[in-house]
Amino acid sequence: MGFLYPGALVFFALIPALVLAYLAKERPARVTVSSVLAFRALRGFRRERFGGWPRLDWMFFAEVFILSLAVLAMAGPFIWKKTAPLAVVIDNSAAMQALTPAGKSRFEVAREKLDAALSAEDGGGEISVYVTAPQPRRVAPPFNTLTEARIALSRIKPTDAPNDQTTLENFLGNLASEARVAKVIFAGSNALAAPVPARIHPIAVGDAVANAAIGSFSLRREALGAVALHASLSIANFSPDTRTLELVVTGDGKEIAHAREAIGARGTATLEFPAIPPARIYEAKLAPDDALALDNVAYATAGSVKNVSILFISPTPADAAGLNSIPGVEVTARTPDSYSPSDLGTFDLAIFEYAAPKEIPGVNTMLAMPPPGDPVFGLTVTPTAKVQIAGWRTTDTLTDSVNFRLLSLRGGEYFGTHPWMSQVVGGDGGAIVLKGERGAHRFVATGFNPFPYLGRRNLPMSVLTLNAISYLAGLGASSNGSRTGQPWLVPAGVERVILPSGSAVAAHPGTLFTAVSEQGVYELVGPGGAKTPRAVNLADLTESDLSSSAPLKVEAANSGSAAAPLMEKSSLGDYILAAIIALTALEALIVYRRRRTAEAAAP
Amino acid sequence: MFGLPDEFTPGFLARLEKLRIRTRQRYGGLGRGMHLSPKRGSSLEFNDFRHYSPGDDFRYIDWGLYGRSDKLYIKLFHEEEDLLTYIFVDASASMAYPAGDRKFESAILTALALAYVALASGDRVMLRVLGGSGGKVNPSFVNGRHRIVELARRLHNLKPGGQFDFATSLATELLAIRRAGKVFIVSDFLMLLNSVTRGLGMFTAASMDLTAVQILGGRELNGQGLDGDVEVVDSESGERLRVSIGDRERTQYRETMLRLTREIKSFCLGRGLHYALYTTDQNFQNFFVRAVSDLGLAH
Repeated sequence: MGFLYPGALVFFALIPALVLAYLAKERPARVTVSSVLAFRALRGFRRERFGGWPRLDWMFFAEVFILSLAVLAMAGPFIWKKTAPLAVVIDNSAAMQALTPAGKSRFEVAREKLDAALSAEDGGGEISVYVTAPQPRRVAPPFNTLTEARIALSRIKPTDAPNDQTTLENFLGNLASEARVAKVIFAGSNALAAPVPARIHPIAVGDAVANAAIGSFSLRREALGAVALHASLSIANFSPDTRTLELVVTGDGKEIAHAREAIGARGTATLEFPAIPPARIYEAKLAPDDALALDNVAYATAGSVKNVSILFISPTPADAAGLNSIPGVEVTARTPDSYSPSDLGTFDLAIFEYAAPKEIPGVNTMLAMPPPGDPVFGLTVTPTAKVQIAGWRTTDTLTDSVNFRLLSLRGGEYFGTHPWMSQVVGGDGGAIVLKGERGAHRFVATGFNPFPYLGRRNLPMSVLTLNAISYLAGLGASSNGSRTGQPWLVPAGVERVILPSGSAVAAHPGTLFTAVSEQGVYELVGPGGAKTPRAVNLADLTESDLSSSAPLKVEAANSGSAAAPLMEKSSLGDYILAAIIALTALEALIVYRRRRTAEAAAP
Repeated sequence: MFGLPDEFTPGFLARLEKLRIRTRQRYGGLGRGMHLSPKRGSSLEFNDFRHYSPGDDFRYIDWGLYGRSDKLYIKLFHEEEDLLTYIFVDASASMAYPAGDRKFESAILTALALAYVALASGDRVMLRVLGGSGGKVNPSFVNGRHRIVELARRLHNLKPGGQFDFATSLATELLAIRRAGKVFIVSDFLMLLNSVTRGLGMFTAASMDLTAVQILGGRELNGQGLDGDVEVVDSESGERLRVSIGDRERTQYRETMLRLTREIKSFCLGRGLHYALYTTDQNFQNFFVRAVSDLGLAH
């Protein structure tokens, strides 16, 4: 036994002082009475009492005892206890959902084996339970008993997210190196590569199983105004034989495409569907069924199918007439005086012509000839009577198919170097077109005003403008969606996210959304209840490969040594505190009852 | 009321006026009154006969006896005089304790009530104080009910204090009293029984008709306010005792106190004296009215 704060024991010196103070307080009270005649007969009683004068109530001893316990508690008493802290790691990645020939999932088998392994432990130390996906983490503070650990294990469910193999290897290595962990039991579908650290006891579950999987499901719009979408899917056959796989794509529940493909052993194929009709949510299903149902399904969404809505803010709103002639574009024009940042909530992008917002807009934005001295974007503007193009990025989406030699610009302005927007088109006096991203939004600034010249009169100007709008509207880029386990930025205006399971999670724009362990379609709910779907897929062929899982290479600092039993300080403070509370409560109860009895006896 | 304690309400005074002092002997007084005197006088109470002497009032000749004996006899009657009432109030230090029991105040109330009964009956009252401080009570007879206010004022200034030997002090007082009469002693009698019996016995020997009124505090009798280890100090002798008082001890203390009062009562009743016990937790008016007989009074 030892003390964390032995200095506190000096307070024991107070106890004799307190005893003396108590005795002084309990000194007989001097009372003048009319006559001591009747008291003479009582003197014998005092002499009969053991110890004589003064009379010490038993409660006095109880209080001294409580005081001693309090001083003892202050000193932080502890005892040394042999302990063997245990770390239990269960693989809860998507691959653990794969069914074994017995009909149970790999995860259930792993849990049963862990349960059996825990039964063999003596439970002499804390037990920490960890999961591996999407990132390794401890599920709860360490448990003191095996029963608690078993209960915690029974509550864990496998996720749809894959393991991050490198992170998992490092995590297991760190656990095996930690001095406070005597033993690590890891149950998962991946075997551990030799040499296995001495402290790690691996439990491998699941034999090699043939599996087919959808690797990716992406959509893209080929051109602005086009209604049909281009779908692209990659599928894989993780089996030793050639298999014919059938893929069915449905849009909002209706079958819109299907394909059959024979894929060789451990081979992959890409299926293209160049013109699939518009739908809100697309679902691809792979047949036949196999051990892992999760990767036989993939989702995609096509938010870009709808028209691009643009808020056009300009002192000359009539300039927006040229945009209205573009198919798939809806323009709402406003003057800067009638504009409010809250207006942006229902638009896909904003265009400021001869104007600049007073704060960074919450949507993708184009600035056409912004006025000098704008404090929000901090553009350095140099007006010029004749803008002369000197160069451009040939591989940029903004300059794609633009014949700059035919592009004639009149008056305009040059931009100076900008901290976060890069030059796309440059002239003699500086940049003419800038683009950049800020807070998950895209921004384009032009030193000329393209809108009055749209149409056949100035074809290069029209192409450049359409490129800019396409870039800002996110067209042309494939919409692969997100992957399970990978957080994404919450877009502007989103207040909450409804998960595929149906539960809603509050979300804050600009922050990372981490509740991404489920595969399916997430609904991003914006102002007024407007919902935007977002597809989240496993999309990890490594995870889907159930026939040849790569072994984990775990390296521990003390890989050669088995853990020696640890000596741990076990505090006695809680027990002492409990004793103090119990004794104090008992004393209070007795004092109360005594007082009640005395009051009842009083005339 | 008119300088009297609050207990002396008009109703209580009216009830006191209906009372009179009862004696077992006849005592001579200082003036005419309502009590039969050993002297021969002109009351309706027959006393004796004697031979007629020239000059006697013919009206008192017993003509019937003359017819039977042929001799002239004069009928003699008792005289009716006032009663000399002595009220002794114990003002020793013990009467001041326990402070909350107001023993001395109760003793003054008792003395004044007895004095009023006597004065209202036309008797003479002499108030004498044993011990005490704060003023002297003139030891002279007063008569007339209006003098009760004067007596009350005299007692009002008294403070209990000091120590005296009961028997010795009463012996001294007895020497100062020249004439026999009714004696009331109001005290807590918390002293050795021997001293009490000697003191009271002297009055008996002097043919005094005596009533002992014992005043005890209600808390004093029950030992209330004393708990645990206590050093008790005698208010008069200064004697100190250390005692441990619990429920058992308190019970024994109370039994001892009751035994002491029983012994005094037994002594008084054995000598033909009146005895009354008043504990201050009782209502004074109720006590006085109910203890009329014990106090040596009569309606």
